[in-house]
Formats: sequence, structure tokens, C-alpha cells
Amino acid sequence: MTKVKLNGEDINIEMTKDEFEAVKELLKKEPNVTELGMFDVMWSEHCSYKSSRPKLKFFEDAEKNYDYVLAGPGQDAGVIDIGDGYVLAFRIESHNHPSAIEPYHGAATGIGGIIRDILCMGVRPIALLDPLRFGCLKDNSHSQWLFKYVVKGIADYGNCTGIPTIGGEVEFDDSFESNCLVNVACIGLGTKEDFQHAPSKAYNPGDYVILMGGSTGRDGIHGVTFASRTLTEMSEADRPAVQIGDPFIKKMIIEATLEAVKTGYVRGLKDLGGGGLTCATSELTGSGDTGADVDLRKVITREPGMNSYEIMLSESQERMTFIVKPEGLEMVLDVFRKYEMSFAVIGRTDDSKILKVYDGDELVVSIPSKALSESPTFKREEKRPKYLDKLLLEKTPKRILSLDEIIYKLIASENICSKEWVYRQYDHEVGVRSVIKCGEGDSGVLRIIGTNKFIAASVGVNSKHCFLDPYEGSKGGLVEQCGNIISNGAKPMAMVNCCNFGNPEIPESFWYFSKSVDGMNDFCRDLKIPIVGGNVSFYNEDEVKKTAIKATPVIMIVGLIIGQENIITLPFKEEGNEILIIGETYAELGGSEYHSVIYDMEGGIPPKVNEREIKKRWDYIFELYRNNYIKSNHDVDKGGFIITIAEMCFKHNLGARLNINDYNSNRLKDDELLFSESVGRFIIEISPADHDDVMNLAEKFGVYVKQLGTIIDSPEIIISGFQVKDIKLDLSKMKSLYDSTLPDMMDI
Amino acid sequence: MSVKIAVIQFPGANCDLDAIHVLKNVIGIETDLVWHNHFKESKYDGVILPGGFTFGDYLRAGIIAAHSPAIDEARVMLKDGRPILGICNGFQILTESQFLPGALLRNDSLKFVCKWVNLKVENNATALTNQMNIGDVLAIPIAHGEGRYFTDNLKELEENNQIVFKYSNEKGNITAIANPNGSMDNIAGICNLERNCIGLMPHPERASEPILSPNYTEHGKLFFDSMIEFIKRRTS
Repeated sequence: MTKVKLNGEDINIEMTKDEFEAVKELLKKEPNVTELGMFDVMWSEHCSYKSSRPKLKFFEDAEKNYDYVLAGPGQDAGVIDIGDGYVLAFRIESHNHPSAIEPYHGAATGIGGIIRDILCMGVRPIALLDPLRFGCLKDNSHSQWLFKYVVKGIADYGNCTGIPTIGGEVEFDDSFESNCLVNVACIGLGTKEDFQHAPSKAYNPGDYVILMGGSTGRDGIHGVTFASRTLTEMSEADRPAVQIGDPFIKKMIIEATLEAVKTGYVRGLKDLGGGGLTCATSELTGSGDTGADVDLRKVITREPGMNSYEIMLSESQERMTFIVKPEGLEMVLDVFRKYEMSFAVIGRTDDSKILKVYDGDELVVSIPSKALSESPTFKREEKRPKYLDKLLLEKTPKRILSLDEIIYKLIASENICSKEWVYRQYDHEVGVRSVIKCGEGDSGVLRIIGTNKFIAASVGVNSKHCFLDPYEGSKGGLVEQCGNIISNGAKPMAMVNCCNFGNPEIPESFWYFSKSVDGMNDFCRDLKIPIVGGNVSFYNEDEVKKTAIKATPVIMIVGLIIGQENIITLPFKEEGNEILIIGETYAELGGSEYHSVIYDMEGGIPPKVNEREIKKRWDYIFELYRNNYIKSNHDVDKGGFIITIAEMCFKHNLGARLNINDYNSNRLKDDELLFSESVGRFIIEISPADHDDVMNLAEKFGVYVKQLGTIIDSPEIIISGFQVKDIKLDLSKMKSLYDSTLPDMMDI
Repeated sequence: MSVKIAVIQFPGANCDLDAIHVLKNVIGIETDLVWHNHFKESKYDGVILPGGFTFGDYLRAGIIAAHSPAIDEARVMLKDGRPILGICNGFQILTESQFLPGALLRNDSLKFVCKWVNLKVENNATALTNQMNIGDVLAIPIAHGEGRYFTDNLKELEENNQIVFKYSNEKGNITAIANPNGSMDNIAGICNLERNCIGLMPHPERASEPILSPNYTEHGKLFFDSMIEFIKRRTS
């Protein structure tokens, strides 16, 4: 907080003294309270990306370098052309701070916000995905409370709007105990014309400015500045800054907006999210190079007596701004009338390039349209944390538990166990597109009705790995998410990210952000994956414990499958088929679930990514797909490859007989081999008849592939080839442990 | 003879387009999506009340939609024997409108539940089940928070053979484990005395194409096929 003098009075603002001076410079006058409030919000970290912008500039220009990318970073959502006249829009965003204070409404309005972002690209939202992070659940009623109500908030809002939640991720780690992470992603589908109809700008003077949807109330004022601070004990008092959502109104807004866009009379479209009417009007006119006259008395307010400051800064949910061609005004309004949506024509655009806001006859705001989006940026310092040296040197303790005991503990652990408790509460079928549903594959797969195309999406990252090495960890996140959709047969098309980090003013926290951006950038450039959007959430810290969250650069990958016959699924299909592993395992136990669950330790050497190796594996897998060699495929993730194999056995009650001796070419210890989380590995099922062809292709592609064993018709995994005696795992016991962890903890 | 079906679009319905897709593209029947205030019964041979959260399910699921003018129109169809199908929220609207007896309460788990379940056919002499056999087990998904069927007159329902579907296991056994929401007697769907109006919580429109079903079944289609058959028999 900064104290400044405005017209002789002391007032508190969030911006710095230098920024305050910059505002005066821009306006060439002393701002009034409303104007200053507008700058305060628009120049907040949340709206302006002032700490992250210099770094994000390094991302390559996706629109320029990839012809199928129609909208890249900086827009409300990334948009790609998937052929047949269709486009996909997608974006991911954080709603961490509101959810940490008020989990139900915080999560619900997060969903509401991301839906609006997709909607204002002119396309229909068709899928939601939610990566979530909480403190460990066991014996922690606070974490259980946050988890329960975040999931309920997402379910109640998402289900009501009729958008299926097709995927997501949940991680539990103590660093998220007081600052949980609630990231929300949405995918939209439309025709190319839908997308081109209504850009997020007001570029034509003389158009009408219409505010449609819910009324404007006093809720959520300064929500974004609240999101740009660290949570403190005082944050309880911020609860009024959390907005309340109404999914029914949102559903009506979706239908009314899509129908209005179809009339052809909507020239510009922008949702009201962070920064409310201030953000919508300034960004529309700013990017359209126009100005506008807006009359606040026309705005439908929820209560009488709201002043211009409150109306301009309110973040009340469920509102959209339309820029409408004069000749089509009545046609558009008729659509709103049909849906019984309230609306107000609040102004008109002009060529003044100045945003003028009136309270009746009185001019209360006069700001150059572009000024609000021209915040100064900060060059933040970065410094590698000292504690990392010690952490990276940590050694795995001598193993006391037997290997089978460890595997049973791992499969029941919070981060590995089944997330059915979560996705049963989400309607993941509405829309009749869901082909691979929650819990049935590595990614969510949707059909595009009327074409032979399918899209696959996966979201997540491993924060334990990123904590030890953000550069390799974020690359690992990309390998993992791409691996998930590749397992289902999809080719990665584009990526969006959601960067969740600590306070950027602390050099060690900023270092994590900086390295993560470098990692994503390098990997995507090498593997030719366009980065089409992102979101940055800083200040995720626990003020009481004085610790930042583990660095969490969440990644969402969207890919395409052509032809139903090319969809690959996870469960093992047939007894007698061979089980192969693609990719080597290295001694990379740092940040593994094995370390955390068995030894309660965080250190060690985390996985590294070799882009060339990864590229070869992906090419090889697609070659196997082309020849129909792969019967099932599952990407190796947390807990190592035995967990992967167990998950493939569950559905059809099959089992596996394995010998790991031949695979252990790096002569690792038994626990290193089984539990390392080396990235980019796959377990595939093939028919013995294809064995030689598959191995010959591996040699041709230069990919490391070994047969681990065969599928058997009894629910057990028998593993031999250890330095110690063979082990035998009971799959029905594993399944019951896998299934019961969350219900046992949450359904009391 | 041309058959024409209406799918009513209440504010907040969200399975309306799914029903339209199945009727038009899978079954191949002429179907209109009709805004609730614009619905006129005289143009249609049958009507579907789709799933969703009409009016946000505020106050009580289905009760506000039950007061829409569309329900007055549908009541004419109910009286003259044309087929009416209420799916999920549509079922809730039908009980709130007293087209069907009983009520749908919050699931016993107190949570929304989305999963594939098995339905055992108990009555195939209705407008929506004439292409099924008694005892058939259908795989169809549910997705609801308030689907626990309750009636204070179960005996009458049984005597009049108004119970059309019960939740069962794969073999058709009516067990407690197979009951996903605590419905009385595992009831998943019922009909009126005249057999032309049926409401059920599961979503046949989500189970009408093999690509969407876990075991590549298309049991949901039977509902729509039955409806067409019923209309043809009725008008011939």
C-alpha cells in the first residue's frame, strides 16, 4: 500500500509512488478518485502483467510462425484452425486467492470467468479442465474443507452451464496448505466465421456500447488488486472482494451471446472480469484505436446510490459488453429480450481515442483509451535459492520396507490414488462429445460432430519436480502433458500455460518463474508446439509460514486425432500380449512420490528432459500407430512404471508377469528403477506376432524399447529379476487401495 | 406420414441440443428446438423435455419451468395421448407439473453424480418403451444431484404398473449397490396411467451412439424408436 495526496487528501492506493507519478504524467493532470481507482486496478499485477511481461516477451510469436494459429498470447484466448471450417479456442486461468478465502464461490467464479473468456472469442464453450492443488488431506480439516468446496463450486457451476468437465489434475503438497491453487481451463468450438465476426475491439466509431447480463453491484470491488497481494491473516477481511456467481445467468448469457453473434451485427465483444467495466471499455477502445462516451446512469445497478468509482470498478459476475453496428441494434436487443436478459445501451464509440465516462451530465472520467493498458513494467531481480544445493544432494535413505509394501503405500497415496471422488461430481458427458471420459484415459477426448476429427486435452505439471529444478520441471510438464494426449493417439497442436508462483519482488521466487518460462520456451521451440496463451499468478505465498508455494507452471496441451480408429485407450486388452516400455529409467528420484510418501523428503536429483530423445520416441509411437501395432498405451507418471502397469490391468481384471533384469541397463538399485519418475516413458501393449517389427522399428528410430513381460489372465503382477527375491502384487488389493483413499478421507 | 417432434428449450436447459442431435442425426426424424414461450402443441406429434437446470433449479428443481406456458400446451398433448418424454430435469418438471406422481429429492450422497448405470425394463407397454422387452438391461448414464425418487403411494404405482425402469446391476438384479441415488425401490423412471408420458433420470440421448458408450451399445435409441413407433401406430 502506498499513501498519496490527492486534491489535498491522503488516500491509500496499491500502486507505487513512481506509478502514481506516471499516471499524472500520462493524464497531464491530477487524476480524480475514480480515475485513480481505474489506473490502480488496470496497473495491478493481475491485469497488467507488469512483472512478467518483460519475460513473456521471449515467447515466440505463435501467430506469425504457425499458419494454423489464428490468435496467440495477449488475447482473451488462443485460437487454432483445426480444418473443416472449425476453430478451437482455449485458455487457462488461475483463481487462487479467492478460492483460498472462499473455496465454493472462488472456484465457481473461476469457472465463470474462463467461460466468458472463451465466449468472447465468439465460440461455444465445450469443455472444462481443472488442475487443483491443496495441502495434504490426511488429518488436515482445513485442506479437506478447501478441497471439498472447490470441487463442489466447480461442479455446481460447470454442471449448470452444460459444459462438461473432461479432465484435470489434483496435487496435494503442504506448500499449498493455506494458498491452494485453483486453475481453470476452457475449450471452445466454433466455425471460422464465428471467430472472425466479433473481435475484442471497438474499431468503428459510431457503434453502440451495450452492457448485457447481470446487474452491477458492490461485490468484487478491487478483486484484482486483492489477487495481486500475498494472502495474510487480514485476508479474511477481503472476503467481500470474492464475487458471487450465478451459473443460470451464465448459461443464458452463453446462448444469448452466441445467438447475437450469429446475427452478424455484433462488431466487438468483451467479457467483464477482473477490472470490470474499466477493463472492458478501455481495452475495447484501446485496441480498436477509438474512444467512447459512456453514461454510468444507464448501467443497471443492484442497489441505489452506487457512485462512479463503484460502478467502474465493480467485478460483479455474469456481464458482457457488446459493440453493435447501429443498423443492427434492434436485432441484437431482440435476442437479449428473447432470453429475458437485462441490458443497457450505455454509450457509443467515437474517434476521439479518449474514454469519457459521464455520471448523467457530469464528466467524471476522461482518460486516453490506451493509457490504462500502458502500465510501466518492472525488471525484477532473480536469484537461485541457496537451499537448492543442499536439497539436490539429498540421498535416498536405505530401504527398510519391502518393494511390495512400498508399492501398496504408493498406490494409496493422495497424489497417485484414483480421483473418481472428484470427477463423479462433474457432468463429463453433457454435449454428447465425450469419447474418452474422466478416469478412462490419460487425456479427455471429444469428438467434433460432423467431422471425423477428435480433440484431446490434458493439463498439469509436477510441482515437486519444478521445486527442485524449474527449468527441467516445466519441460517435464510439457513432456508429460504431450505424453498424455499421445497415449490416446493425438498429435500435440498447441499449448497454453498458467504460471503460479510466489512474490515476484522476492528474487528467489522470481527466479522460479524466469527459469520455468525459459524451460517452456526452449522445449516448445524445439518440438514445434506453439504457445498460444498464458496467465500469470504471483503472490502465492503463506504469510504465516513465510514460504512460497512450490513453483507450478501448469501446462495445457490440446491435440488432434483424425479418424475414430486412431483413438488409443489405456486398459490392457488381451492375455498373452506383450508389455513393452519405451524410454530408459534413470536414477532420478528427486521430487518423486516414493521420496515424499516413504521418507517424507523433498530432495534428490529430479528428472531431466532430453528433447532429441523425446522427439524420437514420439515419432516412433506414431509410426507404430500407423501400423496398428499398439493395442493400449499409457504414459508413465507419478510413482513409476509399476503403478502405470497396475492402472492398465484394472479395467479388465488382467495381470502381468514381468522380468525387469533386461530393462535395467543402467544398473540402478531396485527402488531407483521402480520408482524414478524419469519423464517421457510409455507402457504399450502389442501382439507377440508384431514383436519383431516393433523392435526393428525401435532400432530404426534409435529409440530405447524393452519388453518387460506379458499380460496374464489373473489379477496379479509378478515381478522377477531383482537383486532381491521376486515380488507378487495382488491387484484386487491394489485396486481397493487405489479407490478408497479419497472417499475414506472425504465422505465422513 | 411425416412425424414431427419438439424439444422444448427452457431457460437453463442444457441437454436440448444433445436431444436435437440424436433425433435429427441419429434417428433421422424432423425435430424443432422450440423456445418455451413460443411452443404450440398443435404442430407436433410428440414432445421432449430435455435435461439441464431450468431456471437454475432455484427454489426447487423443475418447479419454475412447471409454470411455463409450454406446460399448458404439453398438457393438451398429455390429454389426447401424444407421447411426452421428460429426461432428468425434464422428469423433475413432469413431477412438479403433476403429469407424473411423486417427487425427486436430493441424492442420498448429497453429491452430484455422473456415471453409467444399468436400467432394468419393468414395463414395455408404453409410448417410450414399446421397442424394449421386459427384463432387458439397458446401459445409460445419469448426471444429477436431485434424482432420488420418492412417492408416498408406492403400492398404487406398483398396482398400476407405472414403474417403467429400475436401477439394476449388469445381470438385471435390483440391488442396493446398483442404486446410485437412494431412489425408493430403485425406481429410475415412471409413466402415467395412460402410458403416454414417461419421465426418467438417466439420459437416453447420451447413450444412442456406440462411440459414446463404454461397451459400444446404443440402448438410448430404443426410447426414440419407441416414440416414433407409438406415433405411427396412433395415427394409422
